Amino acid sequence: MKSLFRPNEIADASILDDHRPLLRSLERRGLFRGGLSLGALAMLTGCDVKRPASIEAALLGISRFNDDVQALLFDPNKLAPTYPASMILRPPKFNAYYDVVDVKPVNGATWRLELSGRIADKQPWTLQDLQAMPQTSIVIKHICVEGWSYIGGWTGVRLRTFLERVGADLRAKYVAFKTTDNYPSSIDMASALHPQTLLALQYGGETLADPFGYPVRLRTAVKLGYKNPKWVTAIEVTNTYPGGYWESRGFPWFAGL
Amino acid sequence: MVCRVMNVVASMRTLLAAGVLVATAGVADAQSRTPGGMPPPTGMSLAESAAMRFPQPVRVGDLLGREVLRPVESQDVLGRVRSVVRGKNGDILIVVDYGGFFGFGSRPIAVPVNAMVLLGQDMEIVAFTPEQLGKFATFSPSGTTPVADNAIIKVGLAKPSH
Repeated sequence: MKSLFRPNEIADASILDDHRPLLRSLERRGLFRGGLSLGALAMLTGCDVKRPASIEAALLGISRFNDDVQALLFDPNKLAPTYPASMILRPPKFNAYYDVVDVKPVNGATWRLELSGRIADKQPWTLQDLQAMPQTSIVIKHICVEGWSYIGGWTGVRLRTFLERVGADLRAKYVAFKTTDNYPSSIDMASALHPQTLLALQYGGETLADPFGYPVRLRTAVKLGYKNPKWVTAIEVTNTYPGGYWESRGFPWFAGL
Repeated sequence: MVCRVMNVVASMRTLLAAGVLVATAGVADAQSRTPGGMPPPTGMSLAESAAMRFPQPVRVGDLLGREVLRPVESQDVLGRVRSVVRGKNGDILIVVDYGGFFGFGSRPIAVPVNAMVLLGQDMEIVAFTPEQLGKFATFSPSGTTPVADNAIIKVGLAKPSH
């Protein structure tokens, strides 16, 4: 039986010869390729692909979503692995967004820790004040987003103990830090209250050396290395997103381990 | 008149271009001095440049076997620390098994500690290029005294080169 779709008049076969180059260029793979780029465009629905800013905003949105998921998954009672003191690397590894020759040592005698935001007692703290608080030692791994790590031994005041002492609002969202090297940083309250989050004063049983944040730095076992500001000079408890040095350059904010 | 205006514009462009060039040269200079590697600026001794790198106490025994890297982004492994000795004039020298391929064909050279930095578990030679190191004499212990494993020496720091 004749196909229903067969045209009544069949075209002259010479038409195939006339359009041979065009027919040759028709490839099934070409369709695949076209489909792929269409798919890629579909992924960016709602964005003007000619404007990188909008793509950046979309990616940042995904990063914020990842932050929220990480915050949901974070278990405030789960401890990070600890190690024997014999494994402490002495001295620790230096890193910053600048080289070590640009480190500006801080005078511990005149240093003050300023407090602001949702804190009842905003009296500035001296180094002696912090040294007089109960000290905790932990031997934990410092894990850098760049891929390297080392085991370090830190001693200092649990940030939870400190926040409780100054009457901070422990239901606030963020704890933010300012430093002498213009490296603002901030963490979520749950991580701030984690037992392995310290205001560290010592490394390996010795006073912190200048390049590692003397007199006081943050050291937490539940965050990547870049969430551990050195030479801390101010702490703020806030519900307004404070961001941070690398975070404002596109790094994830939560950065949990 | 129009021509003159255009000339002025052209010369301003040249000036601008020159300014940009100077600025870039400045950046390049800053980078060559500081990223993990140095080398020390001209006229500065190794000891002076090492002093700028916050020398930290380290146990000699903890240095042995450490990888020695080149202060470039690829962090090529130059060798491993074999031993630490005091030279004839009392300077601390790090004896590095230098070069070779997978540990074969390397030879010991003595590198001044002030030409090296600590990078966490690794060390870097920041004051000499591989070409210069290749011309170092093969280390011979005569005239030097070994430094005990439990001795503490001071070594400067650097930011990772990657």
